[in-house]
Formats: sequence, C-alpha cells, structure tokens
Amino acid sequence: MEQFSAAGAERGQMPASMMTTPTVKSSAGSLVSAATKVSARDVNVFYGDKQALFDVSLDIPDRSVTAFIGPSGCGKTTFLRCINRMNDTIDGCRVQGTLQIEGKDAYAKNVDPVVLRTRVGMVFQKPNPFPKSIYENVAYGPRIHNMAKSKADMDVIVEKSLRRAGLWEEVKDRLAQPGTGLSGGQQQRLVIARTVAVNPDVILMDEPCSALDPIATAKIEELIDEMRENYCIIIVTHSMAQAARVSQKTAFFHMGKLVETGPTEEIFTNPRDSRTQDYITGRFG
Amino acid sequence: MAEHTVKAFTEELDALTQEVARMGGLAEAAVNDSLAAVVRRDTELAQLVMQRDARIDAAQREVEKRAIKLFALRQPMASDLRVVLTAWRIAGELERVGDLAKNIAKRALVLNQSEPIQLIRSVDRMGKIAGDHLKQVLDAYANKDVQSAISVWNNDDNIDAHYNSLFRELLTYMIEDPRTISSCAHLLFIAKNIERIGDHGTNIAEYIHFLVTGEEIATQRPRAEAETGD
Repeated sequence: MEQFSAAGAERGQMPASMMTTPTVKSSAGSLVSAATKVSARDVNVFYGDKQALFDVSLDIPDRSVTAFIGPSGCGKTTFLRCINRMNDTIDGCRVQGTLQIEGKDAYAKNVDPVVLRTRVGMVFQKPNPFPKSIYENVAYGPRIHNMAKSKADMDVIVEKSLRRAGLWEEVKDRLAQPGTGLSGGQQQRLVIARTVAVNPDVILMDEPCSALDPIATAKIEELIDEMRENYCIIIVTHSMAQAARVSQKTAFFHMGKLVETGPTEEIFTNPRDSRTQDYITGRFG
Repeated sequence: MAEHTVKAFTEELDALTQEVARMGGLAEAAVNDSLAAVVRRDTELAQLVMQRDARIDAAQREVEKRAIKLFALRQPMASDLRVVLTAWRIAGELERVGDLAKNIAKRALVLNQSEPIQLIRSVDRMGKIAGDHLKQVLDAYANKDVQSAISVWNNDDNIDAHYNSLFRELLTYMIEDPRTISSCAHLLFIAKNIERIGDHGTNIAEYIHFLVTGEEIATQRPRAEAETGD
C-alpha cells in the first residue's frame, strides 16, 4: 500500500472536488489481521448535516466475496464508496473514523485518492465503457499509470485482463471495435476487465448485475466466483439470492448502521438479529 | 413475527404447517387406534387403521408438493427456510409413524386369532406413553414450544426402559409356556414398533428445536440401557 503515497495528486488528473480531504481520524496503528484486507472502525459519514453512516466497524477478508445487503438508503453504497474514497467527490460529504486497507490508513494525508483507486477498483450498476475501442477501454488505466513499457507489454495486459474477465474469446477478433457495441453483459465484463487491468487488490461492485438478464448475470456471478481467488471483492446487491450465491461473508445494513455481519451461510439460515431476519425473509416495510 | 410483505407467502407457509399438523393428527389417531385394536382385540378397528394409512401417505405427498412449490417459487430463507425444511422432515417422520401403526394393526389381526395374553397390558402402558409423547411433540410443533419438545426428547428413555422391561417379561413368559411363543413374538414386535414410534417423536422434537432456534440439539440424548441387543 506504499503506492498510496505516490505523487499522483500532482498529476492534476482528478477534478478539484475529488481532491477534498474528508475529516478522518488518523489511525493509531494497524487494525488488521493477516487475512483481513479492509478494516473499518467507527466509520461515520455525513452529507452536510445528515448522518448517513453510524459507527460502522467491519473487517473484510482478502480473497473472498463480501456482500453488503440492506434496504434502499441503508448506507451500504455509502460505505462501499468510502473504501475507495469515492465519497470525496461529493460536496459536503464528511467521513470520520478509521478505514484501513492492508493496515494502511486510506484517509491519511499522504494518500493520493487517484492511486488509491488503482488499488481499489469499482464496477457500477450500469456498464460504463468509454466511447473507445474494446482494446482502449482496457488499455486506458495501465496507460495513464505507465504500467506498460511497450505496445507488446500493453497487448499482454489487455489480453490477460480480458481473459480474467472471461471476455477474451468473445472479443479477441474485434478488439478495435467500440466497447459500446457489446451487449450489456459483455460491456459489464469489459468494465471488469478495465478494472482488473490496473492490478487492483480490492474490487468494489455496486449492484453489478441489476441491469443484466439472468444469463449475463450468471456469467458475471461465475466470474466473481473465479476472481475471488485473486481479489478481495465487495458487492452491494439488492438480490438476496445473489448475495447468498456469490458471497462468503455478508453484512446487513439498516438505517445507516451495520446491524449484523457473519458467514453468508449463517446470515441466510439463522440470522441473530430480528431486523436481518425480517429483511431477508421479506417482512420489512 | 410480522407478516411477509407478500402476504401470499405467509399464507402458503401457514398452510404447509397446518397440513403437517393435520398429518400429525392422522398419525396420532393411527397409533392410538392400532393399540386399541390390540388391547380390545378389535379386528374391525385394526383393518380400519390399515386402510387409513393411505391418507397419511397422501398427506406426506401433499406436504412435499407444497414444500417443493415454496422452494421453487419463494426461495425461503432463514426462519422461513427452517419452516419448510422442518415441515418436510416431520412429514417423513409421521409417514413412518403411520407405517408402524399399520404394522401394529396387522399383528393385532394375528393376535386376535390366538388366546389372549396378560402382557398386553404392559404393551398398552408403553403404547400410551408413546402416544402421549407423540401428542405432546405435535402440540409443541403447533405452538413452536421448544421447551415442551425438549421435555419429550429427554423423556424418551422412559419408553426405552418400558421396552427393556417388557422384553424381559416376554422372555420369561415364553420360557414358562412355549405355546405362547408365537403370540409373544408378535407382542415383542409390537413393543419394538412402539419404541420406534417414540424414536420418531424424539426426532420431531429435534426438528422443532432446529425450527425455533436454528441450531441442532448439541448433546447426546439420554437412553435407557439397552438389554435387547439393539
């Protein structure tokens, strides 16, 4: 995580609003155990006067999938966006507490959010390929971070990333065609390829299948299952069944609070908190 | 517990539980009637028990059909998942209880053709305990009463002890009068069937514990010392 302190902020690639340093309590030391990738302690988030998250403390393991579930407005996406400091981009958003990635404070003053986001990639609800070729979509990140010394190097990165995203065989003969010409499911896998191209440690997924049909969803879920061998994956989903299928750990949020967290199998068979019970059995509201 | 946002889901779960309760009533009646057929030497009642077993089998199929539909269409989770799983498992136990009652009724038909044996009263006592346990555990299921279920679970050794005692008595009886061997052997099988009904009752008690708490009963169930080679 030393890369966080690289001088990326001086490159001027991010809008000024993204450079805003939220109010963060500096960490006294590492909170993480060997298997923990992301560790949050007493994280509070405010949008202006409104508090969106209350004292969230959570350890997220490496090389596994952690699902955030909860009703709309419960704070799960807000917390997800804390992990790669996407909330920095929102005016009036304040983040308090401690959030560490591999034991390093993600909100330390010397951390460049741009560099942080190469380590913590994000996939959004709707596929958002750049209006460029399939090749350029994947090559964009490695290029701006100078990860390839030559065209041959870049070719290797693009192929490896597309293979990791399970898309190579489908697009290898049309890499020069626009990424926007792919189907919705293919576009989402292209976005995943773009995310893994910069070799992140953590991949955040915010409802990555909500715009996809069941077949494309199944392909993404299969991909998530394969990718967990190499990455710490955190997924926000409204689909209980998807959370149950793809994750090993589940965290349930409600009204800005982390209500319960545990092995997915336990959360979906025998949750401890009645609010979790009511939510996953469809009794809320 | 609050209703589901989709009320039909709650209704379907309730209907499943009610079907299991109805099946429990049929199984309970089959046990009581089969024992009455033995004690009162009532051939007609024994035949009725045998005929009615088809109703218990049909009830089990109905429970399974409803459970499959719930799994496929509602994807139950947490406590709902346990409701469906428990219904399925209890229906299986009750179907076996029905079969055992039918076996008892079949042996009643044979026993009614021989001279009466005094030991039938011991079988009757044992049968009443097993019948009471079955009733208690089915009430515990209807009321989700885990304490009552645990009470049944703890007391099954009472039935086991009766079985061991009856086993010894029947051996003595057969040694004293070899002409009773055939009837005593049938009574021994009946006693074994009753003991098995008690075991199914304890299984149901375990499922109720799982249904209510989400956890299996962790400890070993107390058992009367086996003297019968089982």
